Parts: sequence; C-alpha cells; structure tokens
Amino acid sequence: MAETGSTPEGATKPPPDAATGSVPEVPTVWRSPGAGTRARGGAARRGTRALRTRTSAVLVAVVVLTVLAVPALVPLDEQAVDLGSKLLPPSWSHPFGTDEVGRDLLLRCVYGLRISLLVGVVAGLAATVVGTVVGALAGALGGWADRVVMRLVDVFSSVPHLLLGVFIVAMFRPGLWPVVASVALTHWLSTARIVRAEVLSLRSRPYIDAAISGGSSRLRITVRHLLPGVLPQAGLAAVLMIPHAIWHESALSFLGLGLPTHEASLGNMVQAARGSLLAGDWWPTLFPGLFIIIPTLAIAGLAGAWRERLNPRRRSELML
Amino acid sequence: MLELHRITAGYDRRAPVVRDVSLTVEPGEAVGLLGPSGCGKSTLARVASLVHRPDSGTYLIDGESVRAWRHRAPREQRTAFGVVFQQPRQAADPRLRLTDLIAEPLRAAGRRTGAEERVVELAGRVGLSAELLGRRPHEVSDGQLQRACLARALVLRPRWLICDEMTAMLDASTTAALVAAVEDYRRESGAGLLTVGHDRTLLNRWCDRTVHWTELTQAENPSPPKNKPSGA
Amino acid sequence: MTTSSRPACEDTRREGGAGAPLPAADDPVLDVSGLSVRFRMRGGRQIAAVTDASFRLRRGECLALVGESGCGKSVLASALLGLLPANAQTAGRAVVGGLDLLAADERTLARTVRGRRVGLVPQSPSAHLTPVRTVRSQLQETVRELTGARGSGLRARAEAAAERAAFPADHLDRYPHQLSGGLAQRAATALALVGDAPLLLADEPTTGLDRDLVDRTVDELRRHADAGHALLMITHDLAAAERIADRVAVMYAGRIVELTDAPAFFGEPGPRHPYARGLLDALPERAFTPIPGMPPELGALPTGCAFAARCGHATTTCETVPALRNGTACHHPQEPTRA
Repeated sequence: MAETGSTPEGATKPPPDAATGSVPEVPTVWRSPGAGTRARGGAARRGTRALRTRTSAVLVAVVVLTVLAVPALVPLDEQAVDLGSKLLPPSWSHPFGTDEVGRDLLLRCVYGLRISLLVGVVAGLAATVVGTVVGALAGALGGWADRVVMRLVDVFSSVPHLLLGVFIVAMFRPGLWPVVASVALTHWLSTARIVRAEVLSLRSRPYIDAAISGGSSRLRITVRHLLPGVLPQAGLAAVLMIPHAIWHESALSFLGLGLPTHEASLGNMVQAARGSLLAGDWWPTLFPGLFIIIPTLAIAGLAGAWRERLNPRRRSELML
Repeated sequence: MLELHRITAGYDRRAPVVRDVSLTVEPGEAVGLLGPSGCGKSTLARVASLVHRPDSGTYLIDGESVRAWRHRAPREQRTAFGVVFQQPRQAADPRLRLTDLIAEPLRAAGRRTGAEERVVELAGRVGLSAELLGRRPHEVSDGQLQRACLARALVLRPRWLICDEMTAMLDASTTAALVAAVEDYRRESGAGLLTVGHDRTLLNRWCDRTVHWTELTQAENPSPPKNKPSGA
Repeated sequence: MTTSSRPACEDTRREGGAGAPLPAADDPVLDVSGLSVRFRMRGGRQIAAVTDASFRLRRGECLALVGESGCGKSVLASALLGLLPANAQTAGRAVVGGLDLLAADERTLARTVRGRRVGLVPQSPSAHLTPVRTVRSQLQETVRELTGARGSGLRARAEAAAERAAFPADHLDRYPHQLSGGLAQRAATALALVGDAPLLLADEPTTGLDRDLVDRTVDELRRHADAGHALLMITHDLAAAERIADRVAVMYAGRIVELTDAPAFFGEPGPRHPYARGLLDALPERAFTPIPGMPPELGALPTGCAFAARCGHATTTCETVPALRNGTACHHPQEPTRA
C-alpha cells in the first residue's frame, strides 16, 4: 500500500482492496497448469515427442557418419566374393552373416545404405526443386499458365508412381542416375500441389496488396514475400521425400529394374536373398530390410519434429 | 482528383458486391465513407487504391483514366496511394521486422540511401520506439503493428491515403493517435484521404465530408461535392 | 461471518466472512481475488500479463473490462476458462460456484466449468461455429452434451436455446456461412446459453461489427444479464461498454487501475485514474486527443506505477505501485472537476 513506500514490487503484495469490500489476503503462489490432467497428459506427450525427436536425430547422425566413414576407413571390398564362406549365419567375424556368394552382409548393408541415401537425398532435392518451381510459377502467374501446369500434374498423378518410375527406368540402361531421375520425376507432383496451394493462399493476403501498392514488381513480390513463405513447407517436403525415395529405389531394385544386380543396393540384396529365405536363412533378408526401415523411420521422425516447429502454437496465445 | 464512376466490382462476376457506385474525392479532401459490414465499401476502397480490378466502370485519377490494376498499373500510379488495412496482422508479412516492413516500399523503388533515416523519422511520427522497430509482427500488439502499417503507407509520401477501417480493431487512444498522425501528414503534404468505416462519430470528427454507402448506390450521379476549401 | 445453517454443498463458497452475510442471491457469481498470470518465455524472460486483479460479479450485473490491445484483458478471460498455454503460471483465485477455476484440473474444467459454469460468447462467431454443420445440429449436440437430453426433448431444448438468443427458428437449418454477422453472433450466443451458466464471458463480442450491429449485440447481451446471468464483457469499445455495463474495470499494463460504476465513469464525475480519463478523452465525441506515449512492455514493467511515464501528474511517489483504493489505483487520483 501507499505507506510501504520503499517496498519493491512483488516483494510483498498488499492485500487487494477491491471496492466491494475487504478480500482475504491471497499469498502470491504461482501455479502452473501442471496440476491439470490435460497438462500432465500434454507433458507426457511432449516428453515422448522429445524422446522420439532425439532418438531420430541420433540415429540419423549415426547413419550419416557410418556411410561416410566406413567406406573411407575400412579397406574392405564389399564385392569380395568368398565362395568358401557362403551363407554363414551371424558370427563375430561376420556380424550380419554372409550372402549366397560369401560377401560380408554388414559391409554390403553399409554400402547399400550409402547408395540409398544418395538416391534419396538427390532425388528428394531434385523433386522438391522441380515441384517448388512449378508450384510457385503456377500459383504466382495464375490464369492459363496455372491451368495448363496443374492439368499436367493431374495427368502425371493419374499414373501410379511405380509404373511411371518403371517406364522411365526402362528407357535407360540400369544405373544410379536413371533411378534418381525416375524417383525425382515421379515425386515432384505432390510438392508442386502443396507449394501452389500455399502460394495461392499467400497471394490473397492483404500484405501482398500492400506490397503492390508500395510499388513492388511481381518478381519482387514472388521473391520477397511468396517464396520465403513457402520455403519452410518445401524444405519439409524435401525431407519427407527422402524416406519415400529410399523406398522407391529399393522397390525398383527389388523388381530388378534399379541398379545393376551386383551393386550393393538394399533392394538388390533383399531381392537376391529371396531364395535363401525359403531355405530358412533369415539374415540376408532381415538385415538389409532393417537398414531400409530404421533410417527411413528416423528421417521421418526428424521431419515430424520439424513440421511441429513449423506450425507452432501461435504467439498470439499470449494475446499481445 | 479521384473520380470513381459507375464502378461494379466483386469477387464473383455473377454476384458483385459493389454495383454501379460513383464517388469523387477532391485533392486534399478527406472523405469518410460510412456503411454497414459487408456492404462493399472495403472493395470500393481496394478499387480506388488500384489493388482490385473492377468488373466495369471508369476511374479517373487527376483526369487520367486508369487502365490497369494491381501489378499492371504503372508504378508511379500505384505508389501515389498509401493504403492502410483493417487487420494489421493480415497486412504485415510475418517474416519482416517492423523496420523492414516500413522500408519495403523504398527498397522496392531502389531507394536505399536515406531509407534508415526515413524509417526512424516515420516511426517517430506514428509513435513507435526504436526498440520496437527491431521486432517482428508477432512480437508487438495490434496497435503497434497498425502504427507500423501506417508508417509504411506514408513512406513514399503518397498523394492519396486510403484507410480501410484502419481503427476498427484499436482502442480509443491508439485510434486518436493514428488519426492525428494521418492528419499531420495531410496538413504537411496536402494529400487527399478516403477513409472507410462504420463509426459515424469518428468519421464525422475526422473528415471534411462523410457519405453513406446508400447515397452512392441510389444516386446514379452523386451530387457534386460542395466546394470546400481543400487542405492544400 | 458464515451463516450457521449453510447447505452442505455450499460450504466451500466463502472462507472468511466478507462484509455482511449476504443471501445466496446476492453472493458473487464470480469472485476474483489477486489473480495474476505470467508467461515464462525462452531465455528466462517473464511476461506479467495480469497482475493482482480482484473484482466480483453478481447475478444480473455486467462488468465491462476495458483496455487497449495487449493490456492483458484477454489473458484474464483465458485464465477464467482454463485456456492458458502451457508456459503460463497463475496466482490468486477465481471462484465460481465454490470452485476455484485457477486450481481446477482439465477434467473438472471440461466437465463442470466450460458451458456449465462459464458460457463463452466468442470474439469471432464465424470461427467459433463449425462450418460444415447446421446451427441446429451444433445446438443439439451442445444440448446433449450439457444436459443429457435425448430424442424430442433435445429438439425442443435446442429450439428454446435458439429462441433465448433471439436466433430465428427458420434459420436453424442453415450453415454458418449462410448467416449474416449478426445472426452468427446470435448462434454463438445461443450455444453459450445452453448450459445456463451463471457466468457469461464475452470476449470482444463486437470486434469488426458495425455500429448498429454492435448496439444490437450489446443489447441482447444486456438482456441475458437482466435475465439473471452475471456478464463479464471484455472489450476495447468504450461506446459498447457504456451501453451495456453496470460497472467498468479499466486495465492498464496487466493491472486493474480503475473499477467503478459505469454511470459515474462515463458521466459525472468521470474516472479518477489519469489513464482512464485519457482513454475517454481520446474518443472522437470528446477531445479526440491520444494519450502521449505507449504502454510499457508486459515483459519489462517499471517497478512503480506503470502509467507514470505517460502521466502529467506523476511525482516521485509514483515510483511505487499504487494499490486499488476506492476503485482507483493511483497516487494522484483526479478530483471530479472536469474541464
């Protein structure tokens, strides 16, 4: 109160003296909404989410380090055939066992993962660039350009991905780049759609009207306001595309249309292991399979965390 | 002089929200346009500020007929208008700091030198502190953001100001401060004003002349404005 | 003093005796004391959005909480509904029908507070209504949820709720986008009234509406207060507040700086806090002059009176926070002599 002239604020709160009469003094005890069940559930959910993100990040880091370090540091040939030790079950000298011509499966899995990641990253990026450019152009230009481009996207989308991919690969000799091209050319469609929708929604914002009135050219508006607005979405699409591309590459290879069969690609390895699986030898299928599944899940987990950051609960929750 | 003659405009040609509306704003004059929500007065303001192309009608700016809207309008014609919108959150690119928000029209015009001083000067006019200029839209209140949007509208020294419900979301003191900033600028530059709103008391106090939406739509040719001495 | 023969279910209503023992009808519907909300931000920063707010609200009474955007008034509303984000902390009490809303857990809030103790009339009814369902279906769902009614009783009660909010029965089968702004507001009000909550909380119910619609919306809200609800209206629209309120609370930088009867506030003798006076003087029908300067940041409040930097009457006394006394939190309350 007024007489406690030198008391700094918050040290002692004077009892509130409402006009309606005296109110029992309430000590300032701060309470978090942690008492509530929602908050507890929320905290638990946040905890799980954080754990998932951290696990994914560690896994992705391990995967990237492995595929970079192992081929550089381990002077072993993943193609080395040793017919004397074919189809050995996992042991200390061959932790993942050996395949039907005696090649070490751990080494081949690592090399396969390297190829898969390469295809995934390159194809994912290429698909995203194509999709973003096409989508942004369609959205920013509008009119007939938009209609033509989007009909084209519809036509492409009406053919199943894999079928179209097979068609593209079949036009070339087997190898890495046809696979990359096939995956990239079949995966830009969804990104184009997302980016176009985003650009269309941004284009009708009053801040674009303000930019027009401020004398900005169409190009400047696209570069300064529209593209920065869609880039986070496009980046997320690129990361989400990587696991997809990895699976696609594996599928193509499994069908025998991907990389040359001797190449250590995960899809090739699963394909080659089919015969031994029937004979009860599980390791040539299991380990390459896990090498497809775990890294892709980890990347998807990271992308999920990114997505949550993109759509944070708005700061307007502070109602400032 | 702004002469909007028999304008029909909207977002769907079959159901225009503005039908056959005429309005004139003299140089230096402040015209308040009153009307209920959703009557089309905001659309008319967008047509007047060249950011919305009407379906039909003619628009003369100082006797020159407008042939193109939005990007297609000549730069000088577009930048003759400073526009302030109703919702500052929607009218500000969320990625730009307030100082960049205000300076953006200068940069678009390639005028980089002196931009900073101009921003600081305008910030003072609209009552923004230097500290606020470094923040992004989500870090300031609606009132502070609207002050920045007004500064942006003034940065190219427009000959016309179009205020579309500029103060509808704001408290009384911020409203009075923004109106005072607009009037200061008009006194000094002689700019004309078209302000759209639904608060009769505010517009009567603010403007030389207030017209009601129904007057514009019922009269084929609105009675010419009485020759008031203009602010210039 | 507590009454000796109080009903068992109401014994938590009052802890200490306050003033005179009042009959139940005069008990406050909402009793807020020492309510504070702060947000913990990254980097250890704290934002004191609401500080030490105390007020009471009785049946049939309307309190308008006015202030500029960012003053903390919407945070206060969210606190009462238990809708604060996870980084918020609260202190104090806000008691409705014996339950402290600030201490209640989410389950209690969902089952016994929202819609039942506190009805929310939202800021933007079009965003509050589900776009893909008719008004009738939304009303019936709310009736079912809150009252457990089924079958034909459900239909009748939904129609009755619409009628109470003056929502025309022949528009019940329309979708929200087919409604005008005024009708959408009534539909949202009908939803808020279904649970017959003693406290109605209207958060900026008139934002973006034109004057006629503001008057109509406000008059309808007044009718609900007259029907026995306690109404807390949060607004920056002083004209709307003048039209509806019995009492006015002015919030500045998170604190209630003036709490007084509406006729005295808007008429004679006028507000006593310099900020409240400045706010009224900024109205176009009055002096139309802004208060100089801007409010302080809620994250960096001065140690003393938050208004001192903008106040023409500030002295060294203002380096301490003034308590709310006789309805004004000011060291130099203005005397009722108006220029």
